[in-house]
Amino acid sequence: MTRSHRLAAAVTTVGVLAVAAPAGASAASTITISGATGSAPLVALLAKKYVKLKPGKVKFKLAQGGGEVGIQDAAAGRVTIGNAARDPRPSDAAGLVFYPIAKDFFCFDTNPSNKLPNLTLAQAQAIWTGQVRNWEQVPGATATGTIDLIGRTAASSLPPLVQQLLLGNKTISPLAALKPSDGLVEQSVGSDKNAIGFNSGYYASQKDVHAVAFEGVACNLQNAKSGQYPGIRNYYEVTRGKATGAASAFINWIQHSPVARKIIASIAIPLN
Amino acid sequence: MIARLRQPWTDRQAAWRLGAVACLVLLIIVLMVAFVAARAWPVLQANGWIAWLGPGGSVDHQMGQMIATGQHPPAAAYHLRAWPLIYGTLLTTGVSVIVGLVFALFSAIFIVEFAPARVRAVVVPAVRLLAAVPSVIYGLIGILVLAPFVGNHLISPGRKDSVQNVVQIDGTGVLVAIVVLTVMITPIMIAIVVDALRAIPRAWTEGAAALGANRWEVLWTVSVRAARPAIVAAAVLACARALGEAVALSMVSGSRGFSPNPVDGITYLFEPIRPLAASMVENVDAINAPAVKASIYAFALLLLLSSLALSIGGYVAKLPMRRQGLRI
Amino acid sequence: MAVAPPPPVYDPPAPLRPAPRGDTIRSWRWSQRLAFAACWAAGLALCAVTLAIVVYMGVRGVQYLNPKLLFSRPTPGLQQHTTGGILDPILGTVILTIIGIAIAVPLAVAAAVWVVEYGKPAPLARAVESGIEVVAGTPDIVIAIFGLAIFQLHLFAPLSFTASGGGVFGRSFIAAGAMMSLIALPLVFGAAREGLMSIPMHLREASWALGKTRICTIRTILLPQIRANVATGSALGMGRIVGDTAVVVVLLGATLQLEPQGDVPILGNLRGTGSTLTSYVYGASPAGEGNAPQKAYAAAFVLLLIVLTLNFVVDLLGRRKESLA
Repeated sequence: MTRSHRLAAAVTTVGVLAVAAPAGASAASTITISGATGSAPLVALLAKKYVKLKPGKVKFKLAQGGGEVGIQDAAAGRVTIGNAARDPRPSDAAGLVFYPIAKDFFCFDTNPSNKLPNLTLAQAQAIWTGQVRNWEQVPGATATGTIDLIGRTAASSLPPLVQQLLLGNKTISPLAALKPSDGLVEQSVGSDKNAIGFNSGYYASQKDVHAVAFEGVACNLQNAKSGQYPGIRNYYEVTRGKATGAASAFINWIQHSPVARKIIASIAIPLN
Repeated sequence: MIARLRQPWTDRQAAWRLGAVACLVLLIIVLMVAFVAARAWPVLQANGWIAWLGPGGSVDHQMGQMIATGQHPPAAAYHLRAWPLIYGTLLTTGVSVIVGLVFALFSAIFIVEFAPARVRAVVVPAVRLLAAVPSVIYGLIGILVLAPFVGNHLISPGRKDSVQNVVQIDGTGVLVAIVVLTVMITPIMIAIVVDALRAIPRAWTEGAAALGANRWEVLWTVSVRAARPAIVAAAVLACARALGEAVALSMVSGSRGFSPNPVDGITYLFEPIRPLAASMVENVDAINAPAVKASIYAFALLLLLSSLALSIGGYVAKLPMRRQGLRI
Repeated sequence: MAVAPPPPVYDPPAPLRPAPRGDTIRSWRWSQRLAFAACWAAGLALCAVTLAIVVYMGVRGVQYLNPKLLFSRPTPGLQQHTTGGILDPILGTVILTIIGIAIAVPLAVAAAVWVVEYGKPAPLARAVESGIEVVAGTPDIVIAIFGLAIFQLHLFAPLSFTASGGGVFGRSFIAAGAMMSLIALPLVFGAAREGLMSIPMHLREASWALGKTRICTIRTILLPQIRANVATGSALGMGRIVGDTAVVVVLLGATLQLEPQGDVPILGNLRGTGSTLTSYVYGASPAGEGNAPQKAYAAAFVLLLIVLTLNFVVDLLGRRKESLA
């Protein structure tokens, strides 16, 4: 089996994605990563490239679970690196080090059969707080009947950011069905014509969901890069204490290598 | 060294060694209770031994809050009121055991008394097969066949609208969970009841027949009555199985710590729930957050103690039959 | 004492008794006729449900299963057609079953031999029997979560691996296999115990009279006799291991492919992580991340075939035992 097969591209994963060096590579250190489902596709691409560039040096085990879970896993010392998808908070465990790696955008998305052209702040607030419960009351919507809200569980860092940046600090209604990952939100929205959810950029750009413009600005990578679109957050790699050894080398490579920068630019926003 | 090991064991050695292996089982049970209780301790301590079983607030919200509380969370971070999950467990287990028991009793009577040999040759393997099908396959059929059917055909848009400000319903929920669980546990009960009915001595039934009872009366007043302890035991064992079913129910129950309200009428059947065992599977990702971990182990402790009690209950239930010398 | 919950293993049904003369349905009361009809309905419904499940899974399986799927490795992917095959889950199922049963059989047989042949002190033997019944009634998710608590101890770090943060991962084939053995143990124990109890006393007495020790008798006379029982119990136990999901989800590390840990060939695999058919079905269903229902159906079909085969083996062993008796 050729190496390219073993290293087959990973985007969303079923459970844990492992990016491994070819069998027989000795003394490869294992970097375990868990956390944000939003940045998982990006980190998977980076890890894949990194293994290709440094054959035999390092192996990756990449799990998801949600950004908050990643931070906790790193704090508990159960993984080498946690993928975080929000800025550090004072309440985070002491000794955690956050290394910024990229920025990403996030969108409201609906089923492709309900190509909602735009949501204003007021409309988004009404829908997500549960004031408006029928698509008939939403201008531009082609769906009819009850609005199905699809949110994320508290394992994710996304809901607070959505509330802060896209909902004017209004709280998401407890009616929302909560999914444990970006991929499952995308799936639910893609299979339910009455659904509206929110997703990180990579998932919102998939064909089976329709990314909704916010305040007249289309939600896409271009508008996010130019800074017009407001829903933007930072991705971090988190380690307990300063990163050392293989983890440090990997993070350093992500932050400084032009190759990594090119990969980041393909599906997210590089820093600076 | 090796030569010494290869020497034949003396009886005393053998008794010792085999006894030690056998007692390993007891050790494992003790360890299991000890470990699970120790890990659950913070939740019990922070909420009170009984209080965390009660209602109060949204359990999903509480468990969500537990994730980002750091590695040394304060006692307040362990706040948990697990009633919706317990309610979901009791509801699915209770209804499916009752429905399944009635079904199992009639099926067992059919297999033992009424089925012509040819039909019996089909039914018996069918029961065995149903008992062997892995739960994840039941879950898969539930989520890919039953739930979409319920969502598209049984839940009208009007019904959906009627509870739109309370809960979102999409097909997975009480009804599908109970149907799937019933199909899973009925074969277990059938097996036990069949064994018990067949263990009834022929003399008893013939005696009744000689007194003028017809076939049904013999069956109902003698066989079934004598097998009553086994029927209770079957229900108890099926209960233990249903309590602990995690994966299939996580797939079809709607995954929401919600307490359906019977006042909603038929809509009740479509509302989402989430039993304890399913909650454990779904939260296991976040187990490195200490408060979530303690909660998961608290659920495990509850299930473990319940299944212990049920094991003992099943044993006690069968005692009367054993006393009469019937082997089941 | 039956070890619970017993998978149904029937003796052949007793010959049907002819209805007593003069006792026809016509002479029954209405309520009795109704109950009679309910019995028939229940029996037929049972057949219908089984048939529906088997036929439905069969149709879906044949529809979506192909040799390429069976022999290619799974890869994570967003679209169904990019997610590869189910080779690793199949291997994972096989490996896990072997580990589980390899641990369970010696333990269960030793325990059964001790309980039946020695069993002293008697209260302890009773306690062991009840203990095994308790294990049988313990939910698999509780066993799984208990396993996680055990294997995350630093003592057992060599059985999985230690993350660079110092925490023990606690998930590996060994960890999952050890817990799986607890699930199979009661079934093997029950079968071995039944077998030992059905051996007539005079066989043992004859051997003792020849001056053989108890343990020698056990080895040379009794154990060969209960081989079929142990085989039956093992097949039942394997069926349970193959079909269990909770232990795999919690304790196998949930990597889609088999991921060895370390460089030692076989040991590395055992310390490593992977998936099984059950976790694959769970993951590929709409409840998991995979969103590949066709692959889920295909994997579930393979799973069902394995379980049916084991079922058939149990049947065959049962029949052979009968013909010998």
